[in-house]
Amino acid sequence: MMKINHGSPQHWALRTLGVALIALIIVWVPTQMSTSRIGQFSDAFVLIIAAMSLNLVLGFTGQISIGHSAFFGIGGYTAAILIKDHGWSPGYTFYAAAALAFVVGCLIALPALRIKGIYLALVTLAVAVLFPTLVKWKKLAWLTDGAKGIDSVRYDELPVWPILGELKGRDGRAVFAYWLAFVLLVVTYLVCRGLVKSRFGRSLVAIRDNETAAAVMGVNLTVTKVLVFGVSAALCALAGVLSTLRTGVITPEGQYVTLLGSIVFLLIMVVGGAGTLWGPIVGGLVYVWLDNTTRGFGSESDGVIGFLFGWSDQSPATLILGLALVIIMFVAPYGLVGLIKRLWVKVVVVVPKPAGTSLPTTGQ
Amino acid sequence: MSLLSITDLAAGYGPLEVLHGFDLQVNQGEIVVILGANGAGKTTTMRAISGMIPRRGRIVFDGQDISSSSPDSIVRLGIAQVPQGRGTFADLTVEDNMLAGAYIRRDEVLADVERWFDVFPRLRERRSQRAGSLSGGEQQMLAIARALMSRPRLLLCDEPSLGLAPLITQELFGVLKKLNAEEGLSILLVEQNANLALKVAHRVYLLETGNVVSSGSAAELAADDSIRKAYLGS
Ligand SMILES: Nc1ncnc2c1ncn2[C@@H]1O[C@H](COP(=O)(O)OP(=O)(O)OP(=O)(O)O)[C@@H](O)[C@H]1O
Ligand SMILES: [Mg+2]
Repeated sequence: MMKINHGSPQHWALRTLGVALIALIIVWVPTQMSTSRIGQFSDAFVLIIAAMSLNLVLGFTGQISIGHSAFFGIGGYTAAILIKDHGWSPGYTFYAAAALAFVVGCLIALPALRIKGIYLALVTLAVAVLFPTLVKWKKLAWLTDGAKGIDSVRYDELPVWPILGELKGRDGRAVFAYWLAFVLLVVTYLVCRGLVKSRFGRSLVAIRDNETAAAVMGVNLTVTKVLVFGVSAALCALAGVLSTLRTGVITPEGQYVTLLGSIVFLLIMVVGGAGTLWGPIVGGLVYVWLDNTTRGFGSESDGVIGFLFGWSDQSPATLILGLALVIIMFVAPYGLVGLIKRLWVKVVVVVPKPAGTSLPTTGQ
Repeated sequence: MSLLSITDLAAGYGPLEVLHGFDLQVNQGEIVVILGANGAGKTTTMRAISGMIPRRGRIVFDGQDISSSSPDSIVRLGIAQVPQGRGTFADLTVEDNMLAGAYIRRDEVLADVERWFDVFPRLRERRSQRAGSLSGGEQQMLAIARALMSRPRLLLCDEPSLGLAPLITQELFGVLKKLNAEEGLSILLVEQNANLALKVAHRVYLLETGNVVSSGSAAELAADDSIRKAYLGS
């Protein structure tokens, strides 16, 4: 084990190394990897954004939601309808989708957050179940195209971004989708980080830890919970827009639009580390990796794997992750991020600044 | 001058009425103790004052009627509460707990943190430790320090001695007394230990099943025979 001081040259070197490594991977993927691999990473980014949004309400504020697949769907449908029926440029649909999901999120949260625990879970569960049904409803078919969904949702012409230059064809689209997802991932991360590390964020954790004490501290429980739910819904809608733009289609039974989506977001968040900023990132990457390596397990394997999963014609990733979750709850209560941190301190310990030396003189 | 004036306070949970309409006053600069057995309604009284539960009757704080105000606006007016059982935020650090206590303020917050660390030096040593990892006594100190961060004029303190060793309790009451004497902080304190209560209190209310059955100065109550029997065990 090595001890280094917070803010020392070694600490900075370590940080720089970490950032450089991540940057290298981020650039390596779209320039060196196959188009399908790039697509997998984009998919991971989409899921990470959704899990991050859920983390805000569940991980940090302690309000359970099984309804986030609906916000994901709202995002996807908003984009598809605006682009196909109203000729919007895809870029602007992000704003529209986020705004709509924010409003819907707040409206659902207002009555739902007055109730707690299992009841809140049930209300949001109902939202998740209702959404695909609503979309399929005959009377809404003029808007949503019913069960068959909306396809060919895409950029007619890919925007030209600096550095990336002009991108064309299937490969170009994949690369563009990758960077678009990456930018939104960074935005989402920064929004979450900004919220969590602020005075507002302290009030979120306060609500999670002890609602009564938070209230007598002057935190307005209803306003805070409703706002954070709205912001979370808006962020989740961004993931929905991204997913639709990447795949070009959205259907009522589509990926992550149904209840299964909510479960996947939940699994990613908890396995990665609920209530940590990096949890969804680690969880999302692990999930997509699992999803892709195990996809064939059901149909085309023999031996032990075939015996275990042969009955299923779907990717058993959710099942495996669910089982992993049970194990993780015992060995790593703070998820994979917590586990990594615990193992990491056996290698390097960053000694925090001595107490009382880092005081800014004004403000917080 | 009366800082907090309560008339005919009734409150409860759903259909269950726990407080049956009593009066209570806290004057500026006083330490008032509510004494009563388990289940008498002491905590319920605190909750009713801080706006956590629906209540009937009149509650006036510093000339303002707060009987239908929300908890956060009551905090803003200058009433802070230390809930029973501490209620620190286990996953926040000691320092973040203090900052959360200053939720309604933005000015000079860090200076205040240092100030209360001067009063509770054990908390300074543990400032970046998770609050959940503190000892019971330390958590109680943190709960009080955190409540003080909102710069209250009236501190509601619900059984701060609960589960603390006598020595720690004495230290804590010493601090409360000092705050009252030196800063003019008015305190409404719930306490089961009558000996202790009568030592710090200016005035005492005796609560039994949701009604005030007796009240007066600490000296008066200490001299009352029936109270001595029931609460002082002599
Ligand atoms: N959340 C609640 N819901 C329903 N009833 C409650 C609730 N909290 C308290 N009560 C009831 O109200 C009565 C008074 O409770 P309260 O907590 O005010 O007593 P207390 O005087 O603070 O007692 P203790 O000294 O044990 O803390 C009790 O009979 C209790 O069962
Ligand atoms: Mg009580």
